[in-house]
Amino acid sequence: MKEISLILNHEPRTVMVAPNEILLDVLREKLGVKSPKCGCERGDCGACTVLLDGTCVRSCLVLAIEVEGHEITTVEGISQDKLSTLQEAFIEFNSFQCGYCAPGIILAVTELLEKHPHPSLEEIKESIAGNLCRCTGYTPIFDAIMAVSKEGK
Amino acid sequence: MAMAHEFRYERPGTLKEALQLLGEHREKCRILAGGTDLIVNMKEGMVAPELVIDIKDIPDLKEISIHEHEIVIGAGITFADLIASDVIINGFPILHDAAKTVASTGVRSRATLAGNLASAVPSLDSAPALLVHDACVEAASLQGTRMIPIQEFFLGPRKTALLPDEIILSIHLPFPDKKQGEVYLKLGRYGGEDLAQAGWGFVVDADRNYKIAHCALAATPKRALKIEQFLCGKELTPQVISQAKEIMREEIAPITDIRASKEYRLHVSGVMLERGLKAAFDRLQNREVHPQKLLGGIA
Amino acid sequence: MKEYKFIGKSVTRIDALEKISGAAIYGDDIDFGASLLYAELVSSTQAHAIIKSIDTSAAEKVPGVYKVFTGKDFPYKFGLYMKDRYVFAQDKVRFVGEQIAAVVGRTPQAAKQGAALVIVEYEPLPAVLDQMEALRDDATLLHPELGDYPHVPWFFPKAGTNIAHWRKTRKGDLEAGFAQAELILEDTYTVPRYAHCAIETHVAIGKLDYSGRLTVWSSSQSPHTQRHLFAEALGKSHKDVRVIAPHVGGGFGGKAGVTMEIIPAALATKLKGYAVKLRYSREQEFINTYQRLGVVAKIKMGINKDGRICALDHKIYWDAGAYVEYGANVVNAVGLSAIGPYKIDNVSIDSVCVYTNLPPGGAYRGFGYSEMLFGLESHITRAAHQLGIDEVEFRRLNAIKAGDLTAYGAKMNPNGLHESIDKVAKAINWGSKLESSDPHKALGRGFAIFWKAPAMPPNASSSAFLKFNEDASINLIISGMDIGQGYQTVMAQIAAEILSVPPSKIRVETPDTDRNPYEWQTVASHITWSSGNAVKKAALDARDQILQLIHRVYHYPIDSLYLEDEAVKCENDPKFFLPLKSFVVDGIMTKDGTFKGGPINARGMFMPEFSSTNGNPETSQGGHPNVHYTVGAASLDLEIDRDTGKMRVLKVALAIDAGKALNPELVRGQITGGLLQGLATVLYEDMRYDANGKLLNPNFTDYKIPTAMDVPDEIIPIIVEVPQPDGPYGARGIGEHTMLAAAPLIANAVENALGIRIKSMPITAEKVAMAILAKDKA
Repeated sequence: MKEISLILNHEPRTVMVAPNEILLDVLREKLGVKSPKCGCERGDCGACTVLLDGTCVRSCLVLAIEVEGHEITTVEGISQDKLSTLQEAFIEFNSFQCGYCAPGIILAVTELLEKHPHPSLEEIKESIAGNLCRCTGYTPIFDAIMAVSKEGK
Repeated sequence: MAMAHEFRYERPGTLKEALQLLGEHREKCRILAGGTDLIVNMKEGMVAPELVIDIKDIPDLKEISIHEHEIVIGAGITFADLIASDVIINGFPILHDAAKTVASTGVRSRATLAGNLASAVPSLDSAPALLVHDACVEAASLQGTRMIPIQEFFLGPRKTALLPDEIILSIHLPFPDKKQGEVYLKLGRYGGEDLAQAGWGFVVDADRNYKIAHCALAATPKRALKIEQFLCGKELTPQVISQAKEIMREEIAPITDIRASKEYRLHVSGVMLERGLKAAFDRLQNREVHPQKLLGGIA
Repeated sequence: MKEYKFIGKSVTRIDALEKISGAAIYGDDIDFGASLLYAELVSSTQAHAIIKSIDTSAAEKVPGVYKVFTGKDFPYKFGLYMKDRYVFAQDKVRFVGEQIAAVVGRTPQAAKQGAALVIVEYEPLPAVLDQMEALRDDATLLHPELGDYPHVPWFFPKAGTNIAHWRKTRKGDLEAGFAQAELILEDTYTVPRYAHCAIETHVAIGKLDYSGRLTVWSSSQSPHTQRHLFAEALGKSHKDVRVIAPHVGGGFGGKAGVTMEIIPAALATKLKGYAVKLRYSREQEFINTYQRLGVVAKIKMGINKDGRICALDHKIYWDAGAYVEYGANVVNAVGLSAIGPYKIDNVSIDSVCVYTNLPPGGAYRGFGYSEMLFGLESHITRAAHQLGIDEVEFRRLNAIKAGDLTAYGAKMNPNGLHESIDKVAKAINWGSKLESSDPHKALGRGFAIFWKAPAMPPNASSSAFLKFNEDASINLIISGMDIGQGYQTVMAQIAAEILSVPPSKIRVETPDTDRNPYEWQTVASHITWSSGNAVKKAALDARDQILQLIHRVYHYPIDSLYLEDEAVKCENDPKFFLPLKSFVVDGIMTKDGTFKGGPINARGMFMPEFSSTNGNPETSQGGHPNVHYTVGAASLDLEIDRDTGKMRVLKVALAIDAGKALNPELVRGQITGGLLQGLATVLYEDMRYDANGKLLNPNFTDYKIPTAMDVPDEIIPIIVEVPQPDGPYGARGIGEHTMLAAAPLIANAVENALGIRIKSMPITAEKVAMAILAKDKA
């Protein structure tokens, strides 16, 4: 067991981890952050996505011990003071149904818009191609992102 | 999902430390870079190392360095890095094509080119690109470094020429000595991410030299030397292409598995050969090519 | 057309903030603290075998393993429509993946380590992996005691065979019908199994407290039905069993009824004081939850010289898996409806539920109708072509109208089938030329119509409680599940319309069977209708109490009072304006200082009292087993690469008759979602079993579900509204129906493009390419 320090949703945190503990499990069970979800254990579905130093990773394929000294952001970190423009758009365009994949998709698109504020439809599709949604058929998700992309925010 | 297997974790700060650990533990340890291959394998019980060596803090590995005759891609370079790199986009578009087909953004941000090579799966997307560029894998151990030509790197499914105490340090890609057009085509089952059921890389130049390589169509990725030999110097008429397809049938050994049948792989490979060569020529003439759209099924 | 304030509006979902902010709690998110134990299953590696021995001794010695359980600890049988299923395998295993034992550990790692050390000795039995094989006289019997299994009175098992249920529908005179036919077309269509693939896997936690009260938290579409099955199987009073449903990350039918949830419920009864969690891995989700049944369908259709279908003989054989307690109702539902949305006077349907040594088949979005319509709508198109009639015209000619008789002799409800056909034909520009400028590509257009009725017992009911809070916000307490479709929002809209309180001030949460009144299940696309009716009644009850109170205190005539802007107003006195919040909890203070009224608590209940299942067992005539049908039509343009077989949907128009779209945006959401799920089943979802009954692709690496890259280029959703007379504001359900047309659309478009008819699913790029090659050779 080792005590590691990291920044989680803008707060410094420490936690005891064994080498074989998966980041997704440690976030959920030991650090109280529930928005990243388990969907497939293999990195195929994107529900476990978190931002590691601002970049999307599959937290089910990361050992918790690897992120010592790094920064993790999840949807809770984005929703702290108020919803982001993207999150508002998701609500407006009905871009979710059961909501299970939503945190992962929100993070993937948050990263996309940071790096490419005005993505094309093709770029949008590619950015979330690794986030599986069984409910919406994706179209309302594209609509929300295109609206945010156009508004230049 | 919890991992039952217990192991030691080390994160060396220098290459020397990593090589020492590797030399000590050999087959009993595993290198952890992106983890997108290793962690899945460990979770599913396919591999159970007693030590995992995390190389992400080693400074020498995180660069693409540009030299006069070659570029050197460090072992820590991810597929996301390759996709964003100007020298890859402009100098090695086939590798850019291949990188874009690997998994998805959240996996590419971590998965490394070196890790991909080390996995040596028959469907390795990056392999054809490296094969047609005659890349070299630089391997390091406590004894020093050595260069392994990519053609000699893959020994069989999940088997490489790396010795148990060796780590991939970098991949060397020589700059082509003349203008060429190149492309990577991949056969998948639908529009989303997939392991290749057939992957083909093509390089053509204005002097009618051809370099062709494939993956997922034999026990390892390979250069298609017989097709190359036949095509060299020839203009690509329908008759020549037709003959090349015949030779191709002798040269590849696709299998039937749950992803595709042998017959389909053979048939579509012929289509990929024809369309891929044409696309490589288009790129030679600076025409825009969208490799992911060339086989149909995608907008 | 009446204009409503909230009904028919695309009101923002009331669960939006929760889900988008990360606040929504799903089953695995709930914290149980130090009393939580983890269960790991030991599963069968054999498709059919006698269990000779189970050695748990090594597992028990693993540090952190608390207890190990096997079938002998829980000799209970359970099942929704038939009791043929066990908590753990007893003497036999009947499919690869069936649960044999559970190792309960203090950590997930310990449980996993323990499970790997349990040794099971099997004596293999011949396995039957195909329904046609299972029907042979000499086939191994999977359930020799079938004759003793309790079941609902409208199921007809055949003891001594592998036939768990045989629904026969006979109407008119089939022989006479075929005798009039100008064309008789006969063929067979096959559809394999499919997986739901909700992104959240099944998870349930059971806890027996020291007083003996059992609580189960479960990601479920059916908390009350689960409570009932747990109470029955485990021998407890319903008041001592509590099921709490958190948010559900997708259901699609897979989380209906009871499957793995009974395991932690049962385990808990032997782990007093602890909570025990079972969460399925993705692999287990593929292997040991309900799957969509497989089908071999034989269709023989006769059409007379006027282009009218005069006879239909439809025989459907279902690969229903090792236990059919739920799947048999899929077979039943289709057995009553395999006439399709057509008026046909002479019909024979045989829908046969067959046991096989594969995972249990169960409810899957569409409940058998997708499988049935693949064959039927393919057949209809072919018949039209052979007769030289335009296939849309052929469908128009034969489409069922309100008042026509269904296959079992009841009258068809009002419906917009013709309107749907017309609007889709217009949207897709039916009859226009489809040509590609690219010589590598072939273009084709497909058409299909569809229908489905909720498949429910005749006494499936919904209830609602409604209470006002001090500020006149409302808690609407109902037991339907929002599995993504937006149910909570729509129910709030109904209450909002009647009580003039906006949906954003109405809280609807996932149910707790202790607090929330009975709801049968969230399945069958029926809760908009059924729970909607209950909610409407509850809201009317609340309004009634309010208006009665105002009348009592202020003496205005009741019919002059109305609710608007969260207040009571009076037509006779425009100055009268009493805000709800001033009295809905506190009552109204009168001149003498006394208060009248008090908290407004209302209730509503809906159960269809006209539904019955006492049709004739040999003909299904009589009875009213289906409350109503929802209909629709669809068409698509498909581009096929002639060399690779890869396909791309260019454009798809889908019309559905929602009766009244209570929230049009949510209906559109079902259209885009359902269409893509349907297209995936026909284009690339592909379950592969080996010769030993083992699933070869229990993961997303090799069972492909749609990604953002797989969306059709253009989707045209069309909402038709022909009111359902007994629906709330005229509404009926549409959630499953949007999937139904996809498979025949593709099959028909492929034939239109290439002249090749493919009669088995999935219709993959490989299948199309190889069929083109074979055709070119011939």
